[in-house]
Amino acid sequence: MSSENCAIVRELIPEFVINRLGEDELGLVESHISDCFACREEFELVERIFASRPEVPGNLEESVTRVVIDDLKFSFYRWQWQALSAAAIAALALGIGISLDSPRNAAHNVPDFAYEVEEGDIWLTDDALVAGAPSFDNLSDETLADLIEELSVVTSGGTA
Amino acid sequence: MRKNERECPELTDRELIGRGVKGDEVALGVLVRRHQAAAYRVALSLMQGDDMARDVVQDSFLKAFRALDRFRGDASFRTWLLTITANEARGALRRQARRNETAFEEAGVVRSEKMAPDETALVALEADRARTMMENLPEKQRLSLSLRIEEGLSFREIGRVIGSSEGAARANYFHAIRRLRELMK
Repeated sequence: MSSENCAIVRELIPEFVINRLGEDELGLVESHISDCFACREEFELVERIFASRPEVPGNLEESVTRVVIDDLKFSFYRWQWQALSAAAIAALALGIGISLDSPRNAAHNVPDFAYEVEEGDIWLTDDALVAGAPSFDNLSDETLADLIEELSVVTSGGTA
Repeated sequence: MRKNERECPELTDRELIGRGVKGDEVALGVLVRRHQAAAYRVALSLMQGDDMARDVVQDSFLKAFRALDRFRGDASFRTWLLTITANEARGALRRQARRNETAFEEAGVVRSEKMAPDETALVALEADRARTMMENLPEKQRLSLSLRIEEGLSFREIGRVIGSSEGAARANYFHAIRRLRELMK
């Protein structure tokens, strides 16, 4: 028995055992192992290993399928939720942006010293300004005179 | 024929993957049906414990399906899945070793305790003996035997799964055969 044939047959033994050989190869292996003791012994060993292969639990397929399908659904819902969240955040950001851009709100958010002073107001106490800063805009001569008098009394420490 | 197979008759793995990527549950079910047994045997050949092997199979399918859109098709889906399974099993074994648990070793012993009242059973007993011997081989030799004999993978495919070259896979397989023949005498 040639060692070349042995090498070929030993490569083919697993396919022979699981019945995957074509007609030509099948004939080669069958005739070879009937004459070659070493290859027949190897064939019997491989056959034993194949025969003792572990049985697959009957419910494995069902449990694996259930888990992967659940995961697929969960991934879909997660994707949906993430898409919705992203859309909500984008809408919110857009809304805030528009809101900040509006001229009406700009006046509230950006302190502006173009502050309208009513006739007769002297001491401005709005938080946007320095508390207590006097404003001399739009004061009538009479009011201004009163203010000067008041200030002179305070600085001299006397009373009116 | 089961419901899944009726709904996807004769579809190749590649076609099923194409459907699976789009969320086709039936296609994914067929892929599970086709490959769960091979994945289970690979996991079991590395872990020798049914519960752990089942978990590994489940995790391997989850991992494979989550990455399905990145599957390039360099190897067959089966080879790819079995590579993931072998890696998952090794990871589970490392975690197990860290916990210093050895319960998985008991399963191999249980399988070899079957009684054999007649000649058929004697053959079965010899087969169980071969299996027990096989479980004592180094990991790569054991996996090469299992993938070649039980799953019919080529040495090139086995090389991918065990992380070696085709030549190394062939060497591992024939080393294992020679070792088992010695032990069985």
